[in-house]
Formats: sequence, structure tokens, C-alpha cells
Amino acid sequence: MSTIASKRLNCAADLERIREQLLSLRVASAKSVHICTGPGCAAKGSPRLYELFCEAVKEAGVDVEVQAKAVGCHGLCECGPIVLIQPSDIFYQRVEEPDVAEIFRETVLGDRVIERLLYENPTTGEKAKSADEIPFYKAQKRVALACNGVVDPTKITDYIAEGGYGALAKVLSVMTPEEVISEVEVAGLRGRGGGGFPTARKWRSCREAEGSPRYVICNGDEGDPGAFMDRAIMEGNPHSVLEGMLIGAYAIGSSQGYIYVRNEYPLSVECLKQAISQAREIGLLGQNILGNSFSFDIRINRGGGAFVCGESTALMASLEGRTGEPRAKYVHTIESGLWGKPTNLNNVETWANVPAIINNGGEWFANIGTERSKGTKVFSLVGKVENTGLVEVPMGITLRRIVDEIGGGIRGDKLFKAVQTGGPSGGCIPAEHLDARVDFDELTKLGSMMGSGGMIVMDEDTCMVNVAKYFTDFLQKESCGKCTPCREGLSQMLHILSRISRGEGEVGDVEELGTLAEILEGTALCALGKTAANPVLSTIRYFRDEYDAHILDRRCPAKECRGLFRYEIDAEACKACGICLKNCPADAITGEKKVPHVINQEKCTLCGTCWEKCPFTAVKKV
Amino acid sequence: MAEDDKLIDGIVGRYDGEVGMLIPMMQDVQAECGYLPVEQLRVLSKRLEVPLSRLFAVATFYSSFRLAPKGAHEVTLCMGTVCYLKGAGGISEAICKEFRVEPGGTTRDRLFSFQAVNCVGACAVAPVMLVDGRYYGGVTPSSAIEVIYGLSPHEATAEKEGAR
Amino acid sequence: MRDMLGEMPVHRGEEGLKKDKLMPTVTIDGQKVEVERDATVLDAAKKAGVWIPTLCYHPAVSTSGSCRICMVELDRGDWRQLITACNYPVRRDIVVYVSSERAERARRSVMELLLARAPESPELKALAERMGVKSTPYPTVTESQRSCILCGLCVAVCEEIIGRAAIGYAGRGVDRTVAAPFRQPSEDCIGCGACAAICPVGTIKVRVHEDQQEVEISPFKSRAKLTVCRQCGEPIGSALVSERVLAKVQVSSEEFSELMRLCPKCRRSKTAAQLESADTDRRKVDVKAAKEQMSLKK
Repeated sequence: MSTIASKRLNCAADLERIREQLLSLRVASAKSVHICTGPGCAAKGSPRLYELFCEAVKEAGVDVEVQAKAVGCHGLCECGPIVLIQPSDIFYQRVEEPDVAEIFRETVLGDRVIERLLYENPTTGEKAKSADEIPFYKAQKRVALACNGVVDPTKITDYIAEGGYGALAKVLSVMTPEEVISEVEVAGLRGRGGGGFPTARKWRSCREAEGSPRYVICNGDEGDPGAFMDRAIMEGNPHSVLEGMLIGAYAIGSSQGYIYVRNEYPLSVECLKQAISQAREIGLLGQNILGNSFSFDIRINRGGGAFVCGESTALMASLEGRTGEPRAKYVHTIESGLWGKPTNLNNVETWANVPAIINNGGEWFANIGTERSKGTKVFSLVGKVENTGLVEVPMGITLRRIVDEIGGGIRGDKLFKAVQTGGPSGGCIPAEHLDARVDFDELTKLGSMMGSGGMIVMDEDTCMVNVAKYFTDFLQKESCGKCTPCREGLSQMLHILSRISRGEGEVGDVEELGTLAEILEGTALCALGKTAANPVLSTIRYFRDEYDAHILDRRCPAKECRGLFRYEIDAEACKACGICLKNCPADAITGEKKVPHVINQEKCTLCGTCWEKCPFTAVKKV
Repeated sequence: MAEDDKLIDGIVGRYDGEVGMLIPMMQDVQAECGYLPVEQLRVLSKRLEVPLSRLFAVATFYSSFRLAPKGAHEVTLCMGTVCYLKGAGGISEAICKEFRVEPGGTTRDRLFSFQAVNCVGACAVAPVMLVDGRYYGGVTPSSAIEVIYGLSPHEATAEKEGAR
Repeated sequence: MRDMLGEMPVHRGEEGLKKDKLMPTVTIDGQKVEVERDATVLDAAKKAGVWIPTLCYHPAVSTSGSCRICMVELDRGDWRQLITACNYPVRRDIVVYVSSERAERARRSVMELLLARAPESPELKALAERMGVKSTPYPTVTESQRSCILCGLCVAVCEEIIGRAAIGYAGRGVDRTVAAPFRQPSEDCIGCGACAAICPVGTIKVRVHEDQQEVEISPFKSRAKLTVCRQCGEPIGSALVSERVLAKVQVSSEEFSELMRLCPKCRRSKTAAQLESADTDRRKVDVKAAKEQMSLKK
């Protein structure tokens, strides 16, 4: 395999030739075991599974046509580690080390399905043999994640065999830069990093800007807590990002690109470095690519640990060796960006969509989604849902379908309360708006935003005031401190929210928060500052009653804020075992054998030890 | 110092002396030294002809940079309400006195960094101390000190500091 | 959200460039003024005689637009955008509102936040008064080092004008401060006091320690030796500054170097004495007569 992709490709025909060679080498009857090594499964030990499968393959000997492949995030992280067997398309979940031998023997060699490793629908009890039988995957449409689960991200040959770099070849042999931009325009691609700006318009403006050289940047500084879409793409299919950047650079007239990866993603850096090195080796990066006069190369920079560097001007400042402070965008980076030159910055997912648009045509892309939001979007669905993981759906799908159908509904017997979208720049959307269609504009109308794709599902046990406080605290810690409203305004808001959650709220606090939010929105320097008050605003809008309870009644309805709810022992459930009494640090519990224990509210310090320790869940939060 | 010069020269050469690559350069220095020593930054400042104030600004802006060496181990003492009620304050004082360290600081021999935090959520076993992420419940001043004396100076904290 | 998209690039093809003008007109609170392309809204306001408060702006250094006290409203047709006047470049005819309710409210709110941060600065209070802000409703929740509002002018002047970059920012967010590297007295500081001169809120002060013959820049603790007048012994200023001036000015005359070692008073008396004793032809000149003579010649 490796010798096929080590000679330099000099024209589009060379690429096609390699592809045909690779496909011809694929034996029809060959079996393939794909082990997901995406972030979720890796955390559960899937790399070790991959090693074990590789050993099994080796031991099987040369007569058996089978290979083991490590693939990128397949999506259903909740059920990881995930193992797929091709070509039968068998989907195994929660695979553990002892299962490897059995899988190899029974399924790979013997074509027999192991029932207990199949996904079981919790409501119907039905077992699914393949991924497309699972509700989680049924409603999805995978474009950016199409190759995750199929392609080994460490092998450029895998990508090429699946048609990779074919879009680049097409662009460099038969399309002009303007034709490329037009195709992306027809597609209606909008930035996937949160801003949602029309990509073609950005490219065109950059192309027409005065000054050289022009730079192309990939924003891999995925800072929203709870979001890992870009990581899954960078580690699952890095070549799609490179191909996207190559096509964009050609359209814009750039010969130098940068990928900025946040410091906390060292694996993404490794994957991208490897991909770049392999692409360079066969001439897909460098001088005169595929026989065209177009030259382009990419450099990777790591962030230093600053959420604010996800903002484009702050990112560019970081690339210039300075502190990551945003600057005014009255003169846009398209005109004057990195080193004062015309610069086009796009998010990882945006770049990853470009090859598919070129391959299938802009119209194909535009036929997916809604009128103003075309194509698909990758979301990280996390929190209190049954199925947590990565999903890619067409724009316009309702929140309800994502939470219920794909997510499998709320975990346990709890009730849905809200879904937080858009990270720290977004807000919480309550049950009454679950039928809202997810796209760039709808969620904004509801006081949130789609953002980069983080979706955190919350249930009845979540205190919304605490959620607002958490995000405000996060933003205050990550604020660059340059402009007055963000630096001082967030501190004032946090001060008020802390008082409220301690039971020291005052009448007028909510109005004060509203005023401060307005100040931030109007006067903050960058988009992060301007949207920083969204978590507070949206929780006030939909959960005002919780704020009122905290302030007026000194009570936390969700029973999360310490001191704002009480513990009581349910006399009927209490078995008088005495564990709570023994462990109470304040000696606030009285009781004897066979007598239900009682908490002395005056002595109780509300530490929650009894609640944790009671084996009969007789201690209730009230 | 000649060794400082050699290390910095190597790092600067790796990036062709490009000022834009200042952050990767500083990351490499930290990967090599475990933190950003003042002297290294001075040499780097001279080599790149970038003011020292800028290096200091960058070093203190990004969370991943450390200006003081971290200890080989991380000792965290919970100062939440329950732990506090159960004497965490006294334990903290005892540790500080015995090892000549302050909360937020690192011992001189760099054996451990000491931090006081607000409630780790293990109130049932208060007072709680964490060492390298491992929980020790019901600690007393003497038992806490004993645990720390048992720490090996050669075991590093399990932290990935990927350089290149 | 509108603001975010409002600032995005406009297609600057034929259509876009057509609208750019060499001498655009700014209508500011109803008054029309013409400015050069890329002049700022603040420049236009100055020309029109309309006052906009500023703190982090200074014509001598680059503009950061960080304090946000100069906010005004820009007319965008069906909506109005809040912009900072100090760094918004005028490229086409625009309409700006300085005294609109929303603009005034924005500026006042920023001032209220600053007053909460730096309640002690008399200069800040004076500016607040002028803006009509009597007090702040906010408690002090962020501690600033001696009324520092982080305008960054001191950092900018030291780097851009003096060329020493002896001080810079340290930390991030609410913990951000201005400091010398490692919070030690800076080796690069020459004690010129430019930072103290440009500080709008009186945080930075130059302190003369006569007994130690040193000048100190507070709060950075940087010190420099003082030059004293050779004649009368009065402190003149930082010795490093004099040295730099002498180094930069290419002077062949010994006289100049000598003068630099005197205080202004002694310098004046010395020059006066020189003129007195000079061998020059001194006579009274009748200016009126001289002018008449010249016009006759023409």
C-alpha cells in the first residue's frame, strides 16, 4: 500500500490511476474490522482493542483476507467502544478486550453475529445488526463525517481509495478560481464555527482584496465546553480538511495556509502533521500541485491555552506571536488580517464540507437543509440524554427529533428541562420550543444560537441560575481583559449571580443583569464579549421563576444551590440503620434503632453527607 | 549561560527565527525545562529582538505557560464547608509549616505543588486531600504529612506535555 | 447578533469600491464635515467641534479602541450600529449620532463600570462629571492597581515612541495588569516618565528621590539615576534620557554636550551670558522701516 502512495503525482490522471490501483487491490471477499479510536471510544480503551485485533489478524496467517483498521469517531460515543465489521456492515457496541477473540473467531472468520454485542433499542427491545437500523443513526445525514468509520486517518491511501483528493484534481484540471467560488455560492455554504457567514462571499472578497501574499487559515481552536466535532474531524479524517483548504486556497489565490489547533488537542496536532507529511510526499502539498502552477503548503500552530483565540482576530494575533487579543473589525481580516495581509479564516467543519460540494455539485448541497441554511451540521449531543455522541443532521431538523429520536430521550425517569446550544455564546431552549428547527436563524430568534454545534441536554435536576453562573464564570476567566464592558461587566454579573445562588439576591437583581447584558451587547469589542450575556439572558427569559425563587424565597427549585434547599428524612423510607447519624459532621441527626431518624434543621450544615450515604434513599432534597 | 544559549539557539533555529512562531518556541522551552525560566526568556528575547515585556505578556496570557516549576506531585486540600468544619484549616497550616510552602505554591525541592480548593464533592469522607488525583479521606494533620513524606521525588505527575 | 454580521466584509467588487470616496462626508449630529478617506469618526467630530469623551485614545500612539468610552451610533439604514469613534475609518458618506439616547447611555454605562473599578482617580471623576455621570451604581468587584483602567497608553508610548518597551501587560481578564517583566524593576526603563505623562487617570507617577539621586517610576518600581545640574546641583532628569539624547543627536559641538549637563535655568543664563559677551555687531533694528525698504525693493 505504502509504495503506491510514495511517488509524486504529477497530474490528475496520476491520482485516478492510484485510486484504481488501490481499489483493484481490494479483494472482494476481504473482511475488514474497523475499530473506532475517536475521543469517546479512546477514553474507554479502544486503542488497546485495535492492538488486539491487529495481533489476531497477524496470527490468522496469510491465507485469510482480513485487515484491522483504526477509524475516526463514528458518533455513538455512549455505546463505545464501537467495532464495525465490513463488508457485512455489522455494528458492535460496548466491546471489551475479552470480546476480541470471540469477535474474530465468530464474526470475522465464521460470519456469525454475536447477539449480546449488538445494539438493543431500549424501548422496543429490538436488536440492530447495522448502524442504519439504529434510530441514533437513521435520522442522520453524514457529509463531513462521511468517512469517519470508513477511513483510517493515518493512511492517505485510504482517503484516496474513497475518492479523496478527487475534488482537488477536478478543480485543478477543469475549474477556474471563480468557478470554484460560484459552486460554493450555489451550495450556500455558511461558516460552521458559529458565525455562519456565507463562505463564498468571504472567499470572493478575499480574492479581490488588495495585497499579497494572501493567507488561508483553519480555525481548530474548538473551545466551547462540551463540543468535540472539530476534534472528531481533525482526528477522524484530517485529509478532508487539507483538501478543503487546498481548494479554497486555489480559489482565493493563496499559497500559504495555517491550521491553528487548540493546545488541549495534542492528538489532533499529530494526526494533522502526519496527514500533511503524507500529502507532501506525493506532491499534493508543495509546488506545482498536480501539474498546475498552483502551489500551497500548510503549517500547524498550537494554541497556548486561551478560549478567546477562537475569535479570528485573536487567533491571528496569536499566530503573530502576540497575546490573543481581538481587535476591531471595522477593517475586516479579509482586507487586512495576518501580518496585515488579506486573510481568509474558516472553521474545520466548513473546510471539511468543501470537497463534497465540488464532487457532488453545489446544487446537491443546496438541496439539503432549509432556505437560508444549506447542507448538514455536526453536533455534539451531550448531557442528560440516553445516547450521547456526535451526530450530523440536515439543517432544519427539529430539536425534538435530535433529543428524542437520535438522543433517545432523557436518561432515567427525569423530565426534559432545556437544551443549551452555542456554547458560552448561546443560550438555553426550554421544552416549549422543542419543535424549533435547528439552523442559523431559528435558534437565534429564540435567544440562543446554533454556534459551533455543542448541545447540552439538561433535566429537571439542573438549576438554571447555576447554569448561568457557570457560563459567566467561564467567560470571566477566559476574557482577554482588553475592553471595559467584558472585563468589568462580566465581573459585575458574576458578582450578582453568586449572591443570588448563595441566597443573597435582592429585588432588582434580574433587572440589573438585564442592563449589564445590554451594555455588553452594545459596547463589547469582539463577538465573544457581545454574546457573553446570552446564557444569562436566555435563562432569565425562560426560567424567570427560578430566579425569583432564589431571590424572593431563598429557594432553589432544582435543589442544586447549596443552602437553598433542605434535607429531610422520609419517615416511611427510613430503616433506622443509623448510617446518616454516624456520618453527620454536625451531629444534626437524632434517632434510635427502629425509630425513623430526624434531621435537626437548625444544626444542619446542608453538607449532603446523609443524602449521599443513605442506602435506602430515604433522605430527600426538599 | 552557554547552555541556555545552546537550547535557545536550537529552538530559534528550528523555526527559522520567525517571530510569529514565538508561542511554539516558548512551548518548546517549557517542554524542555518543565516551565519558563527567566534566564531562558531573557536569552530568547535577545535572540529574537523582541522586548522581554512582550515575552512576559505572552507567558502570563496563555494558561498553558508556567513561570514557576511545578512540583513532581500535586497535593490538593479541600477547603469546602464540611472539610473546613472538620479541621481542614489546621491541616493546611500544618502542611505549610512542615514543608515550608504556601497554598498555590511549590516546595523548594519541587517535590509537590500545594493547592487549596473549594469543595471536591466528597464531603462524606471529610477532610479530604487529593494527591495526584487520588483521594485520601478523613485525613488529620499528621496523616496528611505522612502521606506527603511517602511521595517519591522521581515520579512525575502524569501529564502530557507534547512539544512538537 | 446584528452587530456581528453588520461588521462582516462587504463584497468590495465594482459595486463596493464605487461607494468609497476620496473625501467622504460625515454627518455628525446633523452637521456635515468633509474628511480625508480613512480619517476616523473622532477626527470628523473634532473638525465639527463635537466633543466625544476619550480615555485610551492619544494621537501620538496607535489606537486600540479598548476603553469603549467613545461609543457613538452609526446609521445603517434600517438599524443603528454602536461603534467606537476613535478607530472607525471613514471611507464613504456616513451619518453618525453622538448625542442620541442610545449612544449617551452606552458611554455613560462604560463610565459607570470604570468608576466602579477605579473610584479614587480625580481625573476619571472629572471626565465622568463632564459626561454627566455623577456616581456609579456598581460596587467595586475588581481591584485595580491604583486606579489603573488598563487603557494601555503607557505600554504603547513606551514601545512605540520611546522604543524601550520596558512595561507591558501581564495576565489576562480581570487579573490583567500593567507591569514590568516578572514584576521586577525593569532593566529597559530609562526613567523618562512618558508613561506618567500619558496616563489619563494619574496612576503612574514619577517620584524624585533626592537623597538617592534617583528617579522612580511608580508603581513599576523602576529607577534611574538622576543627572544633576553641574552649575546649581538641581536634579534635571534621568541620566539615561540625557545619554540617549546625546547619542541620538549627531553633534560635533562640545558646547551642546555642555549645555545638556545644565538645568534649564542655568542653561538660559549661560546662553544669555554668551550672547552678552559675543563679538557681534548689535544695533537696534527698526522693523517698520526695514519692511518698507523691502517692499520698495520689490
